[in-house]
Amino acid sequence: MTCKPDDHRHCLELFSKLSEYIDREMDEAELREIDAHITECLACLSCLQSLKQTIALCKQTGLQPVPAVFSQKLHSMVQDLQRSR
Amino acid sequence: MTAETPPSRKTVSDDDTELIRAINAGHAERFPDLVRRYEQKLYNFGRRMCRNESDAEDLVQDTLLNVFRYLNEFRYETKFKNWLYRVAANTCLKKRRRSKFAPEPELSLEELARPEEAETLEQVPEWARMPLEQLLNEELLETLNQAIWSLPEKYRIVMILRDVEEFSTEETAQILNLSPANVKVRLHRARLFLRDRLKGYFSHDL
Repeated sequence: MTCKPDDHRHCLELFSKLSEYIDREMDEAELREIDAHITECLACLSCLQSLKQTIALCKQTGLQPVPAVFSQKLHSMVQDLQRSR
Repeated sequence: MTAETPPSRKTVSDDDTELIRAINAGHAERFPDLVRRYEQKLYNFGRRMCRNESDAEDLVQDTLLNVFRYLNEFRYETKFKNWLYRVAANTCLKKRRRSKFAPEPELSLEELARPEEAETLEQVPEWARMPLEQLLNEELLETLNQAIWSLPEKYRIVMILRDVEEFSTEETAQILNLSPANVKVRLHRARLFLRDRLKGYFSHDL
């Protein structure tokens, strides 16, 4: 179920804290308040789940290898720096 | 009356400490070991910060030049990796300041808090419930990378440091010389912006 219009302001307040909730960077009372709210508000639960999924996807963007040509260029630059010292 | 001795500064020791101390003690021949250790991370940081590949390569080169020049100023009061990212972030932000005159747009929480979900939602959207391995593909990663590049830089750099490089809020604040509260605000807006872009992508595809 979604919140009643009267609760919308409360949803917006919680909305501004969802990242802190996901990162567990808030005090216990606030954590419990959001825990309770999302069991009753589908809009906030949906926002929370989609935000969590977004963060999880960002962590999956992976490491690309350094192009060999560029790596060689970097190491030549470093050799030049060492010689100039 | 005795003179007060200054409080001793806490030093941090990690896997890089021995190498950095050796380089700073005059063993410059070990600098390439440091480059090998971090070139891939720096390159990927650069690629995420810069849409253009040659800008990313310039960022890596300039960062390493600055590290070479200023490594003897490293005081072992933080992890070397954090200091390195501070150099990289400063290099990146200075470059952008030189090349852009228009102020960066702000992301407003009100705009990112669209109420339409509340009116039409019957369940959590499928994409937000699916296992990552079923969701991930090249097209999605490309969409996500494009979305990351679309973020205004001050939000993008916070998101990359926190959610990709996995620095803590405190570490990110130190790297960027921001307050932890400011890091939290920028991170939340960046995440909401990316979520919005992904919502748009999945509303067409699912």
